[in-house]
Amino acid sequence: MNWPVALVVQAFLCLMSCAPSFASGVVSLNLCTDQLLVLLAPERVAALEPLARDPALSFVAAEAAHLPMVRADAEAVLRLKPDLVLAGQYGAQMTVALLKARGLKIIQVEEPQDFVAIATQVMRIARLLGVEQRGAALVARMQARLAALPSRKRGSALVWEAGGWTSGPGSLADAALHAAGWRESGTGGRIGLEALLANPPDLLVTETAPSTPSMATNLAWHPALRGIARRTIPPELLTCGGPFSVGAAELLAR
Amino acid sequence: MIALNGFSASLGGHAVLADIRFSAGPGEFVAICGPNGAGKTTFLRALAGLLPGSRRPDPREMAYVEQGARCAWNLTISEVAALGRLPYGDMNAAAITRALDSCGVRHLAERRIGEVSGGQARRAMLARAFATSPKALLLDEPVADLDPHAAHEILHLLASFAKAGGLVIAVLHAVDLAAAYATRMVVMAEGRIMADDAPLAALPAAAKCFGLELGEDRSPRLLYSRHLGEH
Amino acid sequence: MRAGLLLWASVAGLAIASLLVGGAGFGIPDWLILWDIRVPRTALAILVGGGLGISGAVLQGALRNPLADPGLLGIGGCAAFGAILVFYWGISALFAPALPAGAMIGAALGCATLMAFAGQALSGPSLILAGIALSAFASAFIALALSLAPNPFALAEITFWLMGGLEDRSLSHLALAAPPILLGCAILLRLGRRLDALSLGESTAATLGLDVSRTLLLCCAGVTLAVGAGAAVAGGIGFVGLVVPHLLRPLVGQRPGAVLAPSLAGGAALLLGADLLARLAPLLLPLGSEPRLGVLTALLGAPFLVRIARQVAP
Repeated sequence: MNWPVALVVQAFLCLMSCAPSFASGVVSLNLCTDQLLVLLAPERVAALEPLARDPALSFVAAEAAHLPMVRADAEAVLRLKPDLVLAGQYGAQMTVALLKARGLKIIQVEEPQDFVAIATQVMRIARLLGVEQRGAALVARMQARLAALPSRKRGSALVWEAGGWTSGPGSLADAALHAAGWRESGTGGRIGLEALLANPPDLLVTETAPSTPSMATNLAWHPALRGIARRTIPPELLTCGGPFSVGAAELLAR
Repeated sequence: MIALNGFSASLGGHAVLADIRFSAGPGEFVAICGPNGAGKTTFLRALAGLLPGSRRPDPREMAYVEQGARCAWNLTISEVAALGRLPYGDMNAAAITRALDSCGVRHLAERRIGEVSGGQARRAMLARAFATSPKALLLDEPVADLDPHAAHEILHLLASFAKAGGLVIAVLHAVDLAAAYATRMVVMAEGRIMADDAPLAALPAAAKCFGLELGEDRSPRLLYSRHLGEH
Repeated sequence: MRAGLLLWASVAGLAIASLLVGGAGFGIPDWLILWDIRVPRTALAILVGGGLGISGAVLQGALRNPLADPGLLGIGGCAAFGAILVFYWGISALFAPALPAGAMIGAALGCATLMAFAGQALSGPSLILAGIALSAFASAFIALALSLAPNPFALAEITFWLMGGLEDRSLSHLALAAPPILLGCAILLRLGRRLDALSLGESTAATLGLDVSRTLLLCCAGVTLAVGAGAAVAGGIGFVGLVVPHLLRPLVGQRPGAVLAPSLAGGAALLLGADLLARLAPLLLPLGSEPRLGVLTALLGAPFLVRIARQVAP
């Protein structure tokens, strides 16, 4: 076909589709993949999930503030014409199913529960995005920080999350505790205030108080707990497993 | 002494009472008669001070019993009568007993108002009014749903109260009963007083308001006498 | 008189039991647990339960309706809504007494709405329908508020607000709720004779010298204080105000005034008992967490509601 006609047709098609289309972009539909995407290849971002901007949950909130957002809605994602979609195992399942049916390339990742798994996942996503070198650099920095932690043996620690839930063995918080030399005393179930006080740990680990209140998050500040040694961890370090999670271990090792 | 001077009332833009002038004093038994919608209840409420703009009499001197008066709770008859002492803030047992006695329900004092007959319940409500030791009784249809004997008993009671110096103003549906016991009959229609006179003199006006003829007939009737068939 | 003594004795007994039962086991716990956890919880059960009991008795007297109850009539729901707005948008974090204040404003609006209905002399079932409508409004607004609330845990806490609970309350909660509840109960306890007068209807009561609007205003004020502050710290608990006066009338008499003080004690005993049950259940049965307090009172109260409603409108 001769080029003036092609140009006119192309211009016509551009005018017809009002939305801007990134021909080679990555959409992330999950908070954890959002953060890895921003850390590894922010220039490839077609759109992120809105939670990425929440400073209480996302380590990369500041960077994400300038990047485009999309809700987990199949139509909105299709309009962006991404060449890769990152999603988690849970959440937005129907959206993911629809997108798969339309033939988009979708990768679903699990949440890593220790630093080895974090390293593996960072490298996997770096390979998918074609930025292996950046991935290796991130992993190397994380492992250096881990190695720099003092290897003192400390006592028992309990991570007490909102609503009385404890992190048990095999969880990310547990990995951070171990890296800092603490012994995990939680089981993964819920423990009430009285039971906690009846058998107090050497260290109580809670999230830093959020700016917005809820009864579940306020429980950590009950006056009866004032006698127990306390360390607060910003929630964005442990909500998702990423290279930044080593910051939690550093806080616990102080 | 109870009086209304040029009182008017309206409900939802509709005139219910129009320029009523009325006054009554001790020793009178005033019967208020008239067709439905004449404004009889509104008139009585105005006398009791329940309408905006009407003067509220001293609660110790006046007792008001509304139409179909009921007690929301299943109180004993003596508890019901004791409510009449509220304006005094006391539980004057003597006054309460006297009231129960006058109304002939003293033997029912510990029975519950929900468990006695209609006539007895009505008399218990009356005992409440009497317990206040009022100078005036304002009653709205006190005998409307009672059997003839009970009706006569209560009207006889009210007449005695008036004879002893009290004032009774009662809305009465049954014109014949009113004529038999009252000392004065007020005939109302469409919010106005059509006649205000001794019962026999007011009967023609009453007949006119009801659209009936006034006459005499010799057919058999139930007559009341205190000496027959005590209940 | 004897019934009153018996009631307060059972309150005392249940309170002692309440201090001896909890997540740390049976028996006297160490001082911290006792003072910081069990004492506030026990005291709140007494205050909130007592406030609900006497509010129910007063509402029944004022509305001349044995089906009246602050939870059933939506007043508790309105109070909870007010508390939610204040809590989840951080106002009470800045100024703690804002929490009971917000709840009391909600309760006042609910009360005023119902008193407006009462003036139209609705019969038993109609008043309950009005209350159910108000309750439904409150629940809908609660759900909306929680779904829009800034904190992600808010929506999960809806069961607390709709079904009530007293777990993990501290002395600061007690300090917030106690003064308004005590003041409210003091106001309500003095309404006995006025409510007796209302038995004969508002017109007759007026001719007996009762200032009807002032009486209803005092009822509103007392119920707002007691129920509002209670809902602020315990969420929505219903049926206490319905069941307690109903159970006590055969013992203390049918007069509205006679059932006020006993309902205070009875409500305290009932809520203490329900709260004890809530704490015992996970220790004796394989439950993950304590059953909601409002669920327990509803399980008890719903059959009563049916029974009382049948008596009112057979």
